Amino acid sequence: MPGFIIVALIGAVLSGISLAVFAPYVTLRRISYMGEALSHIAFAGIAIALISGMNLTLGAWIFVSIVALLISWLSRKEKIQEANTITIFLSLSMALGIVLISLSKNYAFDLSSYLFGNVLLISISEVWALGILNVFNILFILIFYKELFYLSYNPEMAKVFRIRVGLIDHLFYLLLAANIVLNLKSAGIILVTAQLILPAVIAFNLAKKLGWIIAISVIAAIVSALIGFYLSFVLDIPTGATIVIVQAFIYALSFIFKRRK
Amino acid sequence: MIEFQEVQYHAGRITILKDINLTIPDGVFAAIIGPNGAGKSTLIKLLLGMEDPSEGKILIDNIPRDSWLKHNGFGYLPQREEYDRGFPATALDIVLMGIAGRIPWGKRVGDEYRERALKIMQDTGIKDKANSAIGNLSGGEFQRVMLSRAILSDSKYLILDEPEAGIDRHSVVNFFELLKELNDAGKTVITVSHDLHTLNKYCNFLICLNKTLHCHDHSELIDQQLIDRTFGEHSRLIEKDY
Repeated sequence: MPGFIIVALIGAVLSGISLAVFAPYVTLRRISYMGEALSHIAFAGIAIALISGMNLTLGAWIFVSIVALLISWLSRKEKIQEANTITIFLSLSMALGIVLISLSKNYAFDLSSYLFGNVLLISISEVWALGILNVFNILFILIFYKELFYLSYNPEMAKVFRIRVGLIDHLFYLLLAANIVLNLKSAGIILVTAQLILPAVIAFNLAKKLGWIIAISVIAAIVSALIGFYLSFVLDIPTGATIVIVQAFIYALSFIFKRRK
Repeated sequence: MIEFQEVQYHAGRITILKDINLTIPDGVFAAIIGPNGAGKSTLIKLLLGMEDPSEGKILIDNIPRDSWLKHNGFGYLPQREEYDRGFPATALDIVLMGIAGRIPWGKRVGDEYRERALKIMQDTGIKDKANSAIGNLSGGEFQRVMLSRAILSDSKYLILDEPEAGIDRHSVVNFFELLKELNDAGKTVITVSHDLHTLNKYCNFLICLNKTLHCHDHSELIDQQLIDRTFGEHSRLIEKDY
């Protein structure tokens, strides 16, 4: 097997894990639209980085983090409906991205790889970055397990019972932004959203304890990455899309084993 | 001791609370009464730090509210709690929320807290549902879970917003008996309630609210004159017979 295929396979698995760890929280907090919005908002970040000559991933992460924190802050402090704030930033970022890309003289830039993703283009350094990010993800969840549990249950009550909701929420969004941005190259803007939902809904069908839900979500992501990667290789079809189709298939299967209440 | 000093609260152009000067001494069993829209829940949310006063100050144990809240917390039972019925939590998980903020990051809730939570759940009559998913609890059962959580938080102040809501009439008396025991053990209990008959028996400090304060003292009795002043002249005190 060629070296770049092995790198891509490891990349696909790490990418799946990183999004699957967050997926249960994104689903429980009913912010799956936030995943989609942040993926689109990253578009403007990439465009800004492209124009300023900055590292694309770093530029996108900084931009997405700022916008994510702004959305969270505006929704809590100014009591503007989160859905409205997100839509405003999403539209503005997409518009900004399109204008900036059109102004850019960098024609060599392959924008479509960011829109649809191509795991075969992932570099060794990006695989390392995903690996390190996964370590941060797991540490974050181990350290703040109970805080994230109650924050997802009801942030207002969590605050009354002295959980540092603001701080943990900010850390959550910073890491979520990093996960989305780092996965854009392999999964693409559109497929990141699916990978932030499907592993979790599979897990919710099979388990009822949050710890197990996270574990099953990660296993579902690894299994679908391996199967999806193999199928895409054998059938010569796009990898990211195949992984998502496999996840959707596993989701359908999970209904057979759906837990009884 | 809790003090409201010249507190006003406006929502846009609407005045919800006006000129609130109130001192609640430690150790009382206080009741906040008033008609719908009187600002009772708002008064509680101001105390808990869920809302900020438009004007005025709130002191707890002679310390400004926000400073006090950095190192202390309230035991709180909300009027309603929004939650997803499919959320993967048991009744015991929700009770343990009362103590979660006091356990350092990275540490799980220890067995001693679990045992204490189960003991409280026994007192509130919900221990047999400790391992039930919250989605399978009735409104009354969930109310007991929330009360257990408030008690487990071990605050010297227990704040309850209509604790009798969703509980059958017979259980209301048991509920208030339990609150009285906690009050006798030294906790300051502050409850919003519409059940004037029950309040009359258990409370020793009355706060009558209708945007402004109509009384706040160690009233022995809720009488018709007081009802007229707080609720308007067309209200009548109807005694419930349990």
